[in-house]
Amino acid sequence: MCHRRRRVFAVHDFVIMILSPLWILSPAAAEEPKLIKHQITGLFSPDREKDLRDVFEQKLPQFKLVSIDFNNAEASFDYDPAKIFPGAKPEQIIERFDNELRNATRHTFGAKPLRTIEKDKLKLVEIPIVGLDCKACSFAVYEMVYRLKGVEMATSSFKEGKLTALIDPEKIDRVEIEMTLKQRGVQFNPQE
Amino acid sequence: MFHKMMKTGSGSLIVFMILCSMILPFPVSAAPIPFFEKHCFECHDSASKQAGLDLTKLESPNAENFVKWVRIHDRIESGEMPPKAQPRPPVADKDAVTKSLKASLIKVEQDTFKSEPRSGLRRLTRAEYENTIRDLFDMPGIALQGELPPDGSAHGFDKNSDALDISHVNLAKYIEAAEHVLNIAIATRPNPPSVTTRRISLANSGGFVAHVIMNGDGVLLKDKKPDPDFPPAAEQNHIDEGAHERMESFNNRSTVGLFRHEDESLSPYFIEHVTIYPGLYRVRTSLWSFQWDKGQVLPSRGTEAARLSVVQLTGDGRGGQHPSYKLGYFDAPSMEAQEHQLVTWLNHNELIGFNVASLAPVANYNRKGRAMAFTGPGIACDWLDIQGPLHNVWPPFSHIALFGELPLVEFKAADHPGVRPPQRKQVRQLGAGKNRPDPAPGLWTVQSEQPLVDADRLLKIFLPRAFRRPVDAEVRQVYVAQVDERLKAGECFESAMRWAYRAALCSPDFLYHVGWDSVPTRVSNPSTTGRENEKGRDGVPTYIDDYSLACRLSYFFLNSMPDGRLTDLAARNILQQPRFLQMEVDDMLKNPKSQRFIDDFLGQWLKLRQIAATDPDKKLYPEFNPYLQDSMVAETRAYFRELIEQNLSASHLIKSDFAMLNEKLAVHYGIPGVTGSQIRRVPLPPDCPRGGFLTQASILKITANGTTTSPVPRGAFVMDRLLGQPPDPPPPNIAAVEPDVRGATTIREQLAKHRDNAVCASCHAKMDPPGFALEAFDVIGGPRSRYRSIGDGEPAPRGAIDPFIGISFKLGPPVDSTGVLPDGRSFKDVLEFQTLIAADSNRLLMNLAERLMIYATGRDTSFSDRDQLAAIVAATQKQGGGIRTLIHEVVQSPLFQNR
Repeated sequence: MCHRRRRVFAVHDFVIMILSPLWILSPAAAEEPKLIKHQITGLFSPDREKDLRDVFEQKLPQFKLVSIDFNNAEASFDYDPAKIFPGAKPEQIIERFDNELRNATRHTFGAKPLRTIEKDKLKLVEIPIVGLDCKACSFAVYEMVYRLKGVEMATSSFKEGKLTALIDPEKIDRVEIEMTLKQRGVQFNPQE
Repeated sequence: MFHKMMKTGSGSLIVFMILCSMILPFPVSAAPIPFFEKHCFECHDSASKQAGLDLTKLESPNAENFVKWVRIHDRIESGEMPPKAQPRPPVADKDAVTKSLKASLIKVEQDTFKSEPRSGLRRLTRAEYENTIRDLFDMPGIALQGELPPDGSAHGFDKNSDALDISHVNLAKYIEAAEHVLNIAIATRPNPPSVTTRRISLANSGGFVAHVIMNGDGVLLKDKKPDPDFPPAAEQNHIDEGAHERMESFNNRSTVGLFRHEDESLSPYFIEHVTIYPGLYRVRTSLWSFQWDKGQVLPSRGTEAARLSVVQLTGDGRGGQHPSYKLGYFDAPSMEAQEHQLVTWLNHNELIGFNVASLAPVANYNRKGRAMAFTGPGIACDWLDIQGPLHNVWPPFSHIALFGELPLVEFKAADHPGVRPPQRKQVRQLGAGKNRPDPAPGLWTVQSEQPLVDADRLLKIFLPRAFRRPVDAEVRQVYVAQVDERLKAGECFESAMRWAYRAALCSPDFLYHVGWDSVPTRVSNPSTTGRENEKGRDGVPTYIDDYSLACRLSYFFLNSMPDGRLTDLAARNILQQPRFLQMEVDDMLKNPKSQRFIDDFLGQWLKLRQIAATDPDKKLYPEFNPYLQDSMVAETRAYFRELIEQNLSASHLIKSDFAMLNEKLAVHYGIPGVTGSQIRRVPLPPDCPRGGFLTQASILKITANGTTTSPVPRGAFVMDRLLGQPPDPPPPNIAAVEPDVRGATTIREQLAKHRDNAVCASCHAKMDPPGFALEAFDVIGGPRSRYRSIGDGEPAPRGAIDPFIGISFKLGPPVDSTGVLPDGRSFKDVLEFQTLIAADSNRLLMNLAERLMIYATGRDTSFSDRDQLAAIVAATQKQGGGIRTLIHEVVQSPLFQNR
């Protein structure tokens, strides 16, 4: 129930943001950047920032990537939803954007609404993974975890050999993440 | 009774003479009666009847007992009978009896031939059919054989009318095949399909190789070092193949280094190209080899070999283990990339397969430490390019052969009221190919302003080519009438012509070697043919005409229809002239298509088609692999080619001072200094028994059962295939001798017991010696001085076996390859045996001449052909005894040119 309310708020915030009277009514609005912020999935390690920039430069030039906030897995874009997604309802914009991003990146990046829960209420979980050999292995482990309900953010590094997840303790715990990894054949060092 | 009368002298002379004239084949005045009485009846009368033969009851030679009399003739002539223990008949007596017998037998045979043709009417074999279609339409790789029912075999070859029956199944398949051929041959678009070039990594996504690389059976390399973005699998495998594919781990232009052999769970395919448009494609690849040492790339032990194959996707195209055929073996030098290029025909839904052919089977998949704990050789594939389909002209020749220069236009239904448009088959691409068909250009077809005039004109060109001889206007009109009928039924011109072409491709004129029997025989231009004195029985010349001669030559050397020049010579009626024949044979042997003759002839004469009939026991022969097997076959083919090209003598069939080897075979034979996968001529030291067919690994494998060798089948093979003296089949109810793989008794000991049986002894005396000599070679043709055993024995040294192959067999009893020939000459090893056999070049040439004649004419040789075969051999010997000379003499002989 609580979660549903938060989602409604998130959509509401988003609608307000893109339909802001400041943008529409102000004479200077046409020149000002229409910054739209999304949470980005697939930003599991810092070097993915470059990958994301390359994607928008080479494959999705219609969206201008303005900035990336790796620590919050968010990015700001400059684009006009009415032009790029004509006829789309406001609540469909994020879904359309996500589709574009996924299709351009073979589903290695995606977008979702901004996180609504405050970061200080999230709990950090670190799981040392055995056999994280390369960037794609890191992505594989990240992908297993970030979709879980209650995982608000995740990173994965083969250089450090660990997975981190910021979780909502009310919805998920470490054990459930470990179970998921185990089921997918991933080996990890148990919690000390 | 007759015998007793003869023996006792009782009974009147008149009665005796009457009886003789009734039973024996000879006039009373002739010599044989006393000969038989003196030398044969003692063992072969009704009382003794040894070997089941009662000469006193045997009627004069006739069609029924012909074979028996031939055998009697041959045994007397060879001196085998009377037996050695009996007094020898005077030479004059022996000559007289064989001469008399021969005359009788020839008369019987000629009487038989009066009622039936020598060369029976026969259809094309599957190979002939496929090759003929390929050459008729210039579609050099279209695959048709596999869809046709298998051919039978008679007298050692599948080209004999006795073996080539035809059923409704054949007919149904011919109709399907004709449809398939026309679908590919006819152009259906205004421009050729666009030529694409695709560079493919062996680790293409969705393939098997990516999966095994993630588990340590291969690695990704960059700049001849492990790819820093994709470290080799170590204690853990890489996680989630799909994630790696999406992150493009295998699509970053890395080189793929593979350690693991193709097997039932690994089928390395370049799956990103699945052929849509049948045609010629240029295939290029870059290969090198290396030594992997737990994460380090080091120079390899030498040049390794990779195999490229054409894989024919079946079912839904998924998975592995699809049927394939070899494209070739390609060198992968140490640390230095070598580019290879070839142009090959690819059919619809075919792709290129790969294998690390020269490597030992290894699997790191679930092994501790995976690639980072492995040390061993690997083959690296930088990339593979596929470019095509390649068309020099458009429409292609196949289309021009059917529709000439008629224009291709877009078919618009509104412009052709009441006309059904041509049908197009929807192309379905199997598998995970990334190549895509061109956009559909619309419905394009040939246009004719005067359909029946064009039909007649086109068929006038096509039918003689397809039927391999001139075609009467009346016959052509039957096909034109079909076109007319279909046009009236509302078909468009292309569809109507398809009916006629399909009918032609399914007609006896196409499917059968019609002319060999149906045309009137004649001797044309006798002043120039050199055949003016050759007449058949009753003075009627029996030569085939020049068109038939062109076909006989072409199906002999190219296994296909005659080309334009041969047909032209036939049309000018000069092909039969010896100088033209000689020239044409030389030209055809130079033609790359003559490899079809080499492959087809050896496949049957030396049973090379059966090379894969047995799988050698993995414990006893762990070093055996498909690369070795393919090398064996390649050796035999290359060796025969060399014999022909260099015109080498018949003794080379048995013994040689050179061999045709690649590295794999050279190592197998223990011959140093040969590097690489390509077969080449290698000189042999004087004490090396290799080279000739007798000791080639292919022959030695074919004559073994995969686990053990036996002198019996090997001896029988040598007697039959190389010496032309096939042993009689074993008598019923005699158990076969099975070698003891436990190593307790040798085959020689078992055969010694077997020969205690008198019924067996006479045949085995002839059959076993060649087999004993070949005991010096194991199941896969490797040299041996002791038998391998999986039971008792001493630990075996590794020898030349790849150090990455585990061995568990032991050394059993020693091999004894000594023997005694039926004529009493003994040999102490295979070298001495070779010397004895190779000396009898007449016998070797006679056998080869006979095999070539049977293959070329599609009929068995008869008793009365022996003199002509002997004349061929004599003429060959007079010119030095070379194999190429023999082939020429075969072609020039009346026997070849007769019906």
